[in-house]
Amino acid sequence: MKPPSPLWDAPIRLFHWALVLLVIASFVTAKVGGEWMAWHLRSGYAILTLLLFRVVWGFVGSTTARFSSFLKAPKAALEYARGLMARQHVPSVGHNPLGGWMVLVMILILLVQVSTGLFADDEVSTQGPLSIFASAKLVSRVNQVHEVNQWIIVGAVVMHLVAISFYQWGLRSNLLRPMFDGGALPPGSAARRGSTILAAVIFVVASSAVYWLVVILPRSA
Amino acid sequence: MRKAAIACSLALASLSAVAQQPLKPEKQIELRQSAYALIGYNFGNIAAMAQDKQPYNKDEATRNADFVAMLSDVPKGFFGEGTDKGRDTKAKPEIWQKRADFDAKMDKMIQEAKKLPAAARADLTALKKAVADTGSACKACHDDYRAK
Repeated sequence: MKPPSPLWDAPIRLFHWALVLLVIASFVTAKVGGEWMAWHLRSGYAILTLLLFRVVWGFVGSTTARFSSFLKAPKAALEYARGLMARQHVPSVGHNPLGGWMVLVMILILLVQVSTGLFADDEVSTQGPLSIFASAKLVSRVNQVHEVNQWIIVGAVVMHLVAISFYQWGLRSNLLRPMFDGGALPPGSAARRGSTILAAVIFVVASSAVYWLVVILPRSA
Repeated sequence: MRKAAIACSLALASLSAVAQQPLKPEKQIELRQSAYALIGYNFGNIAAMAQDKQPYNKDEATRNADFVAMLSDVPKGFFGEGTDKGRDTKAKPEIWQKRADFDAKMDKMIQEAKKLPAAARADLTALKKAVADTGSACKACHDDYRAK
């Protein structure tokens, strides 16, 4: 007998909590500045690696990790939101129709942040590894986006926390625990579990790609 | 003779009057930007050494540090009233609204920059510290008073 499949597979949980720590680290190191900026850059590279992993895992991972399983039509998300307002909560397996969109938004705004970071230059002593390839005009644009987008991320994180609190105390639904212990799929669920070996391979490939992008490629300049 | 002396002193007086007249905003902006460009170039080199991106070379570091220290008090003189426009500038109008704070941050940068030459002549550890302190002082001002 196979053990019951978890709601969230181990790669997703590792991804999630590593991302939490790294986003906090990135924010704090940027605010402290100075010599900590070296860690800000490293943290950004690690986030980029995680995001690349997550995007690929969204196509080949466990069912609940796949974009195809949780990206519903905007209409479905609206209807779900209306249901929430009316306190008629229909629990979902995996991301609910609204949360699914939030996942996509999170991934996109974080991708914007790390990719602008690659080209950013604070014009004092910190340069993104690819800023040497960009014109002064582009760098200045990228700096603006990197600056403004950090607050969009902060806003999204706040929304995320508010939503979890609402489920916890408004709907008596604990979303936090399964993100730690994996939770369990309801019996009879058709959801399939992704291959852990495949996850490891994707992670190694993502790490190599980022290493190439931030270490090897800049040497060619 | 007396006439010539009067003419001479008048000419001198008018010359000094010209010299005391503040530079046009356009010119002030150009001068401070030129100073910043050279500060940025020289500081960039020692910052790269401090971050181990470039091998530490004492002679080069000393040259760069001397330039940064010397140029650091140049921009301060070219932020006169009305120089928030007249030429493409990233200087924010807040500079002239919170002048005391701006000046304090500017002085802090100058103070830190003046420590660079000694640090560059000492060793890489000293240079790293001086570069970090100067960099933070630069950034403190950029964050508040320089448009992105």
